Amino acid sequence: MIAIQISAATLIEILLNGLQQGAIYALLGIGLTIILGTMNFLNLAHGALYLLGGYVGMLFIRENRLTAGFLFDSGFTSVGLDLGFAAALVLVPIAMFGVGVLMERYIAEPFYERPETDQLLVTFGLALIVQELVKATIGGNTFQPAAPSEILGVTVGGPIMLPIVGNYPQWRLYLVAIALVVIGLTYMIIERTDFGLIVQAGTIDSEMVQLLGIKINRSYSLVFALGAALAGFAGLIGISFQTVSPQIGTEQALIPAFLVLVVGGAGSVIGAIVGGFILGITIAGMTVLDPQWSQIVLYAVAAAVLLFRPQGLLGTAKVDA
Amino acid sequence: MSDDERPQDEPESLRTDGAGVGGEASPGPAGAQESLTLLLRDLRNHEFAVIGAAALALVVFPYLLIDGLGALGSLIGFRIGGYEGLASLVLIYGIIVVGFNLLLGYTELLSFGHAAFFGAAAYTAGLLSSTAEISPPFTEASMTMPGIGSPLVMLTAGTLVAVLLAWPIGILSIRRSGVYFAVLTLTFGQMLYFFALGPGAGITNGDNGFADVNVEPLLGVFDLGAELPVVTTVEYLFVGVLFLLALTVANRIINSPYGLILKALGENEQRVAFVGLNVFRYKLMAFIISGAFAGLGGALFIMHEQYIHPTTALYWIQSGDFVIMTVLGGTGSLIAPVFGAFMFEYVSNVISGVTLPVIGRIGSLWRLILGAVFVIIIWNAPRGIYGGLVDLKRALLVGLRRLVWASQHPQKASEALRGWAALRGRRVLAIADRLPGRGGPGGER
Repeated sequence: MIAIQISAATLIEILLNGLQQGAIYALLGIGLTIILGTMNFLNLAHGALYLLGGYVGMLFIRENRLTAGFLFDSGFTSVGLDLGFAAALVLVPIAMFGVGVLMERYIAEPFYERPETDQLLVTFGLALIVQELVKATIGGNTFQPAAPSEILGVTVGGPIMLPIVGNYPQWRLYLVAIALVVIGLTYMIIERTDFGLIVQAGTIDSEMVQLLGIKINRSYSLVFALGAALAGFAGLIGISFQTVSPQIGTEQALIPAFLVLVVGGAGSVIGAIVGGFILGITIAGMTVLDPQWSQIVLYAVAAAVLLFRPQGLLGTAKVDA
Repeated sequence: MSDDERPQDEPESLRTDGAGVGGEASPGPAGAQESLTLLLRDLRNHEFAVIGAAALALVVFPYLLIDGLGALGSLIGFRIGGYEGLASLVLIYGIIVVGFNLLLGYTELLSFGHAAFFGAAAYTAGLLSSTAEISPPFTEASMTMPGIGSPLVMLTAGTLVAVLLAWPIGILSIRRSGVYFAVLTLTFGQMLYFFALGPGAGITNGDNGFADVNVEPLLGVFDLGAELPVVTTVEYLFVGVLFLLALTVANRIINSPYGLILKALGENEQRVAFVGLNVFRYKLMAFIISGAFAGLGGALFIMHEQYIHPTTALYWIQSGDFVIMTVLGGTGSLIAPVFGAFMFEYVSNVISGVTLPVIGRIGSLWRLILGAVFVIIIWNAPRGIYGGLVDLKRALLVGLRRLVWASQHPQKASEALRGWAALRGRRVLAIADRLPGRGGPGGER
């Protein structure tokens, strides 16, 4: 390809953009990987959770003008609670936690003992249903990103003057910070709490955990809900700087989440974080260098990892070759 | 998942049946029935009969689809009749899913990347027939496409490209199994999609879609759009013959020792390896064969539609549609996925145009309906629509036989009915007991 001179400013911008995208990927990947690791359950509806998180967040944050869909047909011209971004930061994970509990109980649980192909297929069908339901109720049109201008009195909108780079949207820095805090918290939960210990043990040998007298059913529920909350949170972060449409679940979340999973290694939280940032920075870099090839390179990285290091960069789970 | 894995309540229905008949059945008709069953089984195992029946069904199919459903529709007040092109489209997808089922249903490999072969073949066939200037990436050069519009050449080229593509993708993907196989196939498919959309836009016309398709008459004589007596159009006849061909090939594969090994692979890969067979080679061949079917379908698709876009040709949702069709119809039986293809295309093209009293026009809700049906089928009826049809036929036959018997012995019939109802009642109660989620007695995983 053509060699391109990269200035320091571009490099830092790539890094910043990569951190944003990477944080979203990491949040998605952590959820997917703990669900897969603990319950051996493959969730193709993970993108649907991202989608739900994004839309629920959008409804919490502001009034949204409707132009189509069931609600519009029944006379609503706008929908939303207009609570602001700070409220959404708290409420979205809580709401998605609930969704996760329900989903674990009524969708995932009946499929734990079934072949993984069945799990893939049923969650794939579910993903379609969620996407179409959202489209049918709120309409298939694109909404503008819901970037906040201030949170709890602190101005977060507008540009900020950075050294070297120059003007940069201030919100994106906050976004990276918030996402990193959430990722850090999740990491701490998994690494430093009893619950995390059970989850970790469960990824290695769930039967043994059960034999030790630990109610793994409850942990399953919590793990799934945690994964859903993280995916929903990723959706909230995503819609704060990207446009919102019912396709975001399958186009922007599901496939990247799976790529993170294979790059980082199934069942490894730290792997998901590393994988997320690797892919995020890869795509941010390629977008600057040669946007046409960015997606292709992203997939190529994932394919290369799968072929040469099937357990993932940091994974320990055995992969039947 | 094969036919001999009967539903669980089968023995019971036999029992109630047997209890009623109580050895009183005269040997005469039973013997005749048995020989008839044997004859039917012989027929079913005979390739000529299978293909002949399929051919007959193909002749009737457009009439049922257009006139039959149309008449039914006007009876109930909805426009649910099909249209002419739909019959061909169903058969085109039928070819693809029959091949896809060799992989998913028999070898039990779930690929989420078959759109790659479908789309690559479609673009190949389309480009071959076009006279457009194309400019491949990395070069400044441009070239003019030859404009070979002969349908047979287009098909051959498309299928060949699909095979040549399935070969390396298969070699790489089959090294992993389960979800990793699915992700790898998806990855390669998506790479091709983004290539067609971005860097390869000089060849594929990118996001604008490729429309410069010039299909010449078949063998230089028969225009594909021309009307024919009995079988509607030349195109339908052409697609139908190819469909039969694909069905024959698939039937031969399944019933050959080779096909048995594919089936065995689906059931227990390790044992196949223990027998000393080269697992990798067989899986690869299954992958390539199914890729070839997808390619044939793709080439036919572009002849039919005269237009292709990366999203309809190569996007992973298209691969997902193949999966949906196959599972809807039912895996593990030769013809079953075709029912899924029909259902999918019928719902997306016809039902989507129906206007319902309360909800209004179904429109894009069709995907929701299909998704729901899909989930229900995975959940409760892994044998798909076709399995349901087989069960229905069997139930009807059993019911008919019982009715005949009941009319002959009204006394015993009422007794048997009461016994049956009591049994059913107990079962319903038992199910109701277990209903609230995992909270049942000893509800552990």
